[in-house]
Amino acid sequence: MTQVDDKPNATGHILVDHLRVCFGSKAAAVEAVSDVSMEVKPGEFISIIGPSGCGKSTLLNVVAGFVKPNEGTVTMDGKATDKPSADRGMVFQQYSLFPWLTVRKNVEFGLKQKGLVANHREEAARTLLGLAGLLAFENHYPDQLSGGMKQRVGIVRALATSPQVLLMDEPFGALDAQTRVVMQQILTNMWQRFRISVLFITHDIDESIFLSDRVYVMTARPGRIKAEIPISLPRPRTPDMASSPEYLRIKQQLRDLITEESLKAMGGELKDSGLAGFDVEVGPKGVAELI
Amino acid sequence: MRTATSLNLVVPQPADAAEEPSLALAPNPGATPHGVPLPVQQTEPPIRRVEAWLRSALPKLLMTTLSLGLFVAFWYFATKYKLDFYIRFTNIPSPGEVWDNAARLAQSEKFYNNMYVSLRRILLGFSVATVFGVALGLLIGQYRGAKALLFPLFETLRPIPAIAWVPMAIMLWPTNETSIVFITFLGSFFPILLNTIHGVNSVDPVLLRAARCLGTTEYGLLRQVVLPAALPQIFTGLAIGMGVAWVSLIAAEMISGQFGIGYFTWEAYSLIEYADIAIGMIVIGVLGLLCSGAIRIMGNMLMPWMAGPTHGGQK
Repeated sequence: MTQVDDKPNATGHILVDHLRVCFGSKAAAVEAVSDVSMEVKPGEFISIIGPSGCGKSTLLNVVAGFVKPNEGTVTMDGKATDKPSADRGMVFQQYSLFPWLTVRKNVEFGLKQKGLVANHREEAARTLLGLAGLLAFENHYPDQLSGGMKQRVGIVRALATSPQVLLMDEPFGALDAQTRVVMQQILTNMWQRFRISVLFITHDIDESIFLSDRVYVMTARPGRIKAEIPISLPRPRTPDMASSPEYLRIKQQLRDLITEESLKAMGGELKDSGLAGFDVEVGPKGVAELI
Repeated sequence: MRTATSLNLVVPQPADAAEEPSLALAPNPGATPHGVPLPVQQTEPPIRRVEAWLRSALPKLLMTTLSLGLFVAFWYFATKYKLDFYIRFTNIPSPGEVWDNAARLAQSEKFYNNMYVSLRRILLGFSVATVFGVALGLLIGQYRGAKALLFPLFETLRPIPAIAWVPMAIMLWPTNETSIVFITFLGSFFPILLNTIHGVNSVDPVLLRAARCLGTTEYGLLRQVVLPAALPQIFTGLAIGMGVAWVSLIAAEMISGQFGIGYFTWEAYSLIEYADIAIGMIVIGVLGLLCSGAIRIMGNMLMPWMAGPTHGGQK
C-alpha cells in the first residue's frame, strides 16, 4: 500500500524541445520565444522567471495548447499538446471563476464535462473544497469571495479533473503580499498531496525559490532559457528559510540574472540616456526641463 | 421532535467553524486570505422594521402622490374650463368621465377579451423573437462563419421599422392574426439579437480559456459558458425588446386589427367614445409595465449571482 503512495508519479512529464513561437504575419512577425528547450519531470515543481514580455506566458500557452509553435515540439508523456485538455489544469492570473456558478458548481464544472453524475461530482467537489478549507463557502458566488479565496477555488477547480500537470500563469500576481505567502503554502501542500507536476510562471524571485525544485530564467524578448537553477532547499520549506545562506545565495544569483535581462528588455534608450543620464545638468525646473 | 433533529443534521455547518483553512500553515494568523464577513441575521422585530421602512419611504411616497396629483388636477381643470390655447381640451374627456367609463368597462367581457388578445399576441411574438434572437445571437457572436452569412442580411433589414412591414405582412401571412404577431415579433427580434451578439462578444476570454482547459466541448462552451456569461446583456435586450414589441403591436392593431387593446383605442376614436381612448392608453401603459416587470423578475430568478446581498459591495 505504502509502496504505491511513495512511488513518484510517472505521468505529467513535459518536454519542450527547440520551441520557437512567432506572432504576426510573415513580414512583421515578432519572435516571442526562441529556441527554448526545457523539461518538467513527473511530480516536479518548476518555475519560469523572467522580465515582463519575455514570452514566458507564451511558452505556458503552448504547453496548455492555446498557441501553436512555429518550430519545435511540446509534448506531455510523449503526446503533442496541440489543444487544451483537462489533463493539463490551468490557473490564470486574472480571476477566471464562472461568476454565475457557486463555488462548488465551479469546482464541479470539469467533472461535468467528463460526464460524471451529479452526486459523484458533488462528493468530489466537497472533498476538495474541504481540503482547501473552503467548504463553508461552497454555496457562495465568486463575487462574494476575497481575491485569495477566488484563486484558491481556481486551483481546486483545476485539480478537480485530476490533471497530470498544473499550469500556473502568475496566479498570485494580483494578490497582496501577505495573502501571497499563505497561498504559496497552500499550493505547496496541495502539490505534495496530489503529487502532480507543476509549471509555474512568476516574476517574483522569492516566490520561485520558495516553491520550486528548479527555476528556469528566461532572457528578454525573444525569450530564451538563460539559466537553469536547481533549488536544493529542503522541504517542507518555511518562511524563516529566507534568511539562510543557501537561500540568499540563490536569491542573489537569480537577481543578478534577472536584472541583466530587465535592463535589456527596457531597450537601448535606457542604457544610453537613462543610466548614463545621471550627469545631465538639471535646472531649477527639474526633470520637466529635459522633456 | 424527531423531524427537528433530522433537520438539524441537514443544516450546513456554521460558517465560522470552517473559517480556518485546514491546509494553510498560516505563519501569521492575521494573514488569512479571506476577509468576507458573513451576512448577519436581522433580529429586529417586524414592527420596528415596518416603522423604519415607512420613515424612509414616506417622503418619496408623498412626492409621488403630489406629482401625479398635480397632473390629474391640471387635467381636471383644463377639461372643466375647456382650455383652448394652441393645444385644445375642448374634446378631451375629463378625469371623472374616464373614471365612470372605466367602471362600466370593468364589467364588459369584450374589454377583457381585447386585453387577452393583445397579451396573447405579445406573448407569441415575443417568445418566438426570444428563441430566434438568442439562438442566432449566440451563433453570430461566437462563430465567424455564421456572422459572415447572417449579419449582412440582418443589418439590411434592421433599419426598417416593424410598422413599415404592415402592408407586406398582411400579404405575406395567411391571417390578420399571424401578421400582427409577425409585426410584434419583428419589433422585439432585433433588440434581442443585437444585445445577445454584444453579450457574446463581451464574454471575458479568460472564462473561455478556463472552460477549454476543463475539457469542455464546443456545444458545452456555448451552452454552459457563453450563454450564462451573456445572460445579463440578453436580459437588457429582452427588456428593450418588450418595449418595442408593445409599440409595434399597438400600431399594428390600430392599422389592421380586429380586437386587441390598440384596436379598442382606435375604435373609440372612430366611435367618438373619447373617454375610452384614455382608458385604452392607460391599460396599454399598465400592461406594458407588467410585462417589463415580469421580465425583470425572470431575470432575477435566472441570475441569482447578480442579485446577491453582497454583490458589488465586497469585491
